[in-house]
Amino acid sequence: MSTGPILALRGLAKRYGAVEALRGVDLDVARGEVLAICGDNGAGKSSLLKVASGAEPPSAGEISLDGRAVSFRSPHDALGMGLATIYQDLALAPRLSIAQNVYMGSELTRGVGPLRLLDKAAMARGARALLARLNSTLDDMAAPVEHLSGGQRQAVAIARALRWDARLVLMDEPTAALGVRESAQVRELILRLKQEGRTVVLVSHDMRDVVAVADRVVILAGGRKAQERPVDGLDATDLTRLVMNAAA
Amino acid sequence: MRAVVERYGTALAGLALIVFFLVFAPNFAAPANLINVVKDTCVLALLALGFGFALTAGELDLSFADVASFAAVMAGFLVQAGHGAAAGAAGAVTAGLALGLVNGAVVTRLNVPSLIATLGLAAVARGLAFWITQGVGFTGRWPTAFTGLARGTTLGVPNLALWLIGATTFAWVLLKWTKAGAHLAATGEAGEAARLAGVDTPRMRRLGLALSGAFAGLAALLLAANLSSAAPNMAGDFFLYAVAAVLLGMTMFEPGRPNVPGTVFAAFTLKALGNGMVLMGAPYYAQDVALGVIIVASVAVSGTILRKAAFRV
Repeated sequence: MSTGPILALRGLAKRYGAVEALRGVDLDVARGEVLAICGDNGAGKSSLLKVASGAEPPSAGEISLDGRAVSFRSPHDALGMGLATIYQDLALAPRLSIAQNVYMGSELTRGVGPLRLLDKAAMARGARALLARLNSTLDDMAAPVEHLSGGQRQAVAIARALRWDARLVLMDEPTAALGVRESAQVRELILRLKQEGRTVVLVSHDMRDVVAVADRVVILAGGRKAQERPVDGLDATDLTRLVMNAAA
Repeated sequence: MRAVVERYGTALAGLALIVFFLVFAPNFAAPANLINVVKDTCVLALLALGFGFALTAGELDLSFADVASFAAVMAGFLVQAGHGAAAGAAGAVTAGLALGLVNGAVVTRLNVPSLIATLGLAAVARGLAFWITQGVGFTGRWPTAFTGLARGTTLGVPNLALWLIGATTFAWVLLKWTKAGAHLAATGEAGEAARLAGVDTPRMRRLGLALSGAFAGLAALLLAANLSSAAPNMAGDFFLYAVAAVLLGMTMFEPGRPNVPGTVFAAFTLKALGNGMVLMGAPYYAQDVALGVIIVASVAVSGTILRKAAFRV
């Protein structure tokens, strides 16, 4: 494994018809860091996440993972290469159980040859162990996700990323629509990922998230990188000012 | 306590209804009558399980009754032309499966919502069934090898009851214990999340609709064998009953989701209801009223996935 950036974007551009959402972004994400991507509405945050995660192809530019140029055909393709994306609303099936959600698309089975049945016990054990690593106290893996709090749901979504052993986790507005205490829980989860040596890129509107968990912040404006700097010494108000100045 | 009511409330109500008939409906408790109710349940449950497969994947299959009529006519055509019981049986199931595959292709490749696609295919299947029969059903002498599939007994147990047990077990194992079942459920519950997690959701939607067709074919085979006839539109009366069985089933065991035990128990309850009402002297049209109320009330109680499937137009 190389020691260079885990993810490198070069000249990344994305056009939607006449709209240029990204106009050539260069970005290196260092191994093990938590990088926040900020910017006003329309700055290109979501487009950057979609293109980097494999949900949409870039119009131009290059993506390298571990120093190798890659082109993801789908988010699932990216997942197989160690890059997991946690989408704001789309991550979970509310009425399926915690274990089913953690193992969605990669269920464990046992049996002989083509005669394979789901190994529900192993999935419940596995899901519990993954959630324990996130300091989650969830115990009943058969409980439907709809009965969980917003923070617990994020834990389940992150547990799925861990199940794939993702080294790089992209998160889209992980605390949007969450209460104060739940947001704090999600920040804890992000720090746990970092402690495990995983790299996290998060797009967030909430500057408190950014100052609480991020090592560095990239500010986008008008589809370009306007600023890139360590978060050290900044508070939420400073950051808000930086974002507003960049947009002006 | 609330969770118990939510999971088993309507099931207990159904049970109470059956107990009521056992006590008050003349002859309801007679073994011959109860066996008849179970046999009646078989075809209905098969159709409902098929509708449930498609609904699990988030698709509405409104064609299953017409597909079943068409499949029955195919069986009748093959048997009456002298190709034998096996060809007739295979023909019915193949016809159902084939139409289910057509539904799946139209929905996932041409991107026609299943509500519309299956409505269209229902009309096509109905037309074809009339075309083949020229409007007159296949009746007359049927080989006992064919009718025996439904009317015979094995080790003293009516074959229809065995088909019911076999189909129920198959559906339950497939949906609860296999990867395909998990992927069907994920597709129906949260299609986008499932796709992003690597589930081949178009394939699962095709699988749900194909299983619905195949089960309609099997139901048609047993219906034709049991009645010794195959007529266009012969399964039409099952449509609302089967939909009601799935919806009522969704109010029990796994509230809000189509589920196998709920569907089969609801099918049995509906048949017991019809049977009991007749025995108690209620006019036949009272059944229709009860059916309509059950359908609407079931969706009012649960049925989120149905709303999703119906309104994704």
